[in-house]
Amino acid sequence: MNSTTIIQETELKIIETEIDNEINAVLNTPDCIEINNVTVSFKTPKGVYTAVNDISLSVKKGEIVTLIGHSGCGKSTLMNTISGMVKPTSGSVTANGKTVTKPGPDRGIVFQNYSLLPWLSVYRNIYEAVDSAIKGKSAAEKKELVENNLKMVKLWEHKDKLPGQLSGGMKQRVAIARAFAINPSILLLDEPFGALDALTKSSMHVELLKLWNLDHREKTIVMVTHDIEEAIFLSDRVVVMNNGPAATIKEIVAVHLPRPRNKKEIVHDPEYMRIHDKLLNLLIDKFSIEDIN
Amino acid sequence: MNQNKFLTALLPFRGWGQKTLLSLLYFALGIALLGGIWELISHYTKNEVPNPRMTWIVLKEVMQNPMQDDADVKGIGTKLFSSLKRVGIGFGLGSLIAIPLGIVMGSSKTVMGIFNPIVQILRPVSPLAWFPLGLAIFKDSPAASVFMIFICSLWPTVINTAFGVASIPQDHKNVGKAFGFSKFKYLTKIMLPYSLPHILTGLRLAIGIAWMVIVAGEMLSGGIGLGYFVWEEGFNGGSVAKIIVAIIIIGIVGLILDKFFMALQKRFSYAA
Repeated sequence: MNSTTIIQETELKIIETEIDNEINAVLNTPDCIEINNVTVSFKTPKGVYTAVNDISLSVKKGEIVTLIGHSGCGKSTLMNTISGMVKPTSGSVTANGKTVTKPGPDRGIVFQNYSLLPWLSVYRNIYEAVDSAIKGKSAAEKKELVENNLKMVKLWEHKDKLPGQLSGGMKQRVAIARAFAINPSILLLDEPFGALDALTKSSMHVELLKLWNLDHREKTIVMVTHDIEEAIFLSDRVVVMNNGPAATIKEIVAVHLPRPRNKKEIVHDPEYMRIHDKLLNLLIDKFSIEDIN
Repeated sequence: MNQNKFLTALLPFRGWGQKTLLSLLYFALGIALLGGIWELISHYTKNEVPNPRMTWIVLKEVMQNPMQDDADVKGIGTKLFSSLKRVGIGFGLGSLIAIPLGIVMGSSKTVMGIFNPIVQILRPVSPLAWFPLGLAIFKDSPAASVFMIFICSLWPTVINTAFGVASIPQDHKNVGKAFGFSKFKYLTKIMLPYSLPHILTGLRLAIGIAWMVIVAGEMLSGGIGLGYFVWEEGFNGGSVAKIIVAIIIIGIVGLILDKFFMALQKRFSYAA
């Protein structure tokens, strides 16, 4: 055995331990959200409608997970069991070690249609949320939080406008600033960019990741979407759901693409293309007019 | 086509004033038309219904010393304010009860179930039917007028407030739920701002009814007021011109009240 091979072997060992450490770090990260055998049923005039059926899923701290599926597959319902807006009919959801019974300040929500209060200015929309969700801080501290978060989404100069005076992208930035302002450890996004045009949407993705980075990637993000590109660009894992009623998880696809990701370059990455293809196959069964018959 | 011609004629006043001028012109045309019909009626009734010129003279006469407030002689303004005061008290008290009741009805299906049938039964009752009841309770006819106004002010406001509160969109409710708004914050930041345009619609309808009813009420109750003026000085005094003068004044004041609430409605409606 000559000296070079020895050195190479030691190097390899070091690399191996580093990889082990990384894997262990991931494995040892506590589960931030645990969904245990959750079923959600609604009573309707036509009888009981089961939206999601016996779903279990756990999400690690700092992970970005997207729920993807066709409209009405119960992905929003599933996410709302995490936020506490919907109570599971059976099963339970744990967030940060506590069983979810109602919405709480540890979980920030960005709604599908912005849900800003149209009679309050941009500033007041965020302030009222901060004032309600954050206990034990002075008015000055709360105001500082609002200011910081509005500056973060670059809307400080629009603070006195009413939501009706803003564009869709700006409204969504206000909604995101509002969710960030209460500093939740979990961020729940319900088709947040669904109503935006493709260009605005694209820049919003980058902005969302920037905010997540600024926060040392410590926030756990669960997002509902029906946009495959959006799901791959943002997530660590994509949860593909079956069509409802009684939806279940079809498959979970891991996205092993290094971060920070680049919008322009990522689409040429073979891994990206592989995942994109896989998701397309999982979600769509008709690719050309010949497939229709 | 017609409008285009007008607009061309008004070209020198282009800009902010053009529309105002045009609407003033239409208004003048409407008045002229009405005056023409009025003249014709006077002509065919052989001045039983006095023509505009004769009415104008009576109007000027009535308008002299409007705020006169002697024991035996009251000016038209004093009478108007006396009527307005009754409407104000009855409408104010009515709204004070109707708005909270509407809010509770709109937010609770149980309360709605209890009160809605009662409201639906009492709402179509002519306000005048409440007058004798008020008289029996208060043994005082001006108080009975106020009571009647109070009752008739309730229904539109209760119904519209309840409708507004019951129709708060789930999106707005979700905001309160997601960020843990207190009951008070929910009331002041979500429920009231959302329902305000509906409440104001109710108030606007209510003040319209109240103003219509006060005239009838004062005919029954007597005392100082526009309704009594129409009956006593107009009909009993044999002056049809005074009746017409009173109708014009009642109409203009009613219009002003309506415009006031309409302006409030405009001020408090929001684009989503």
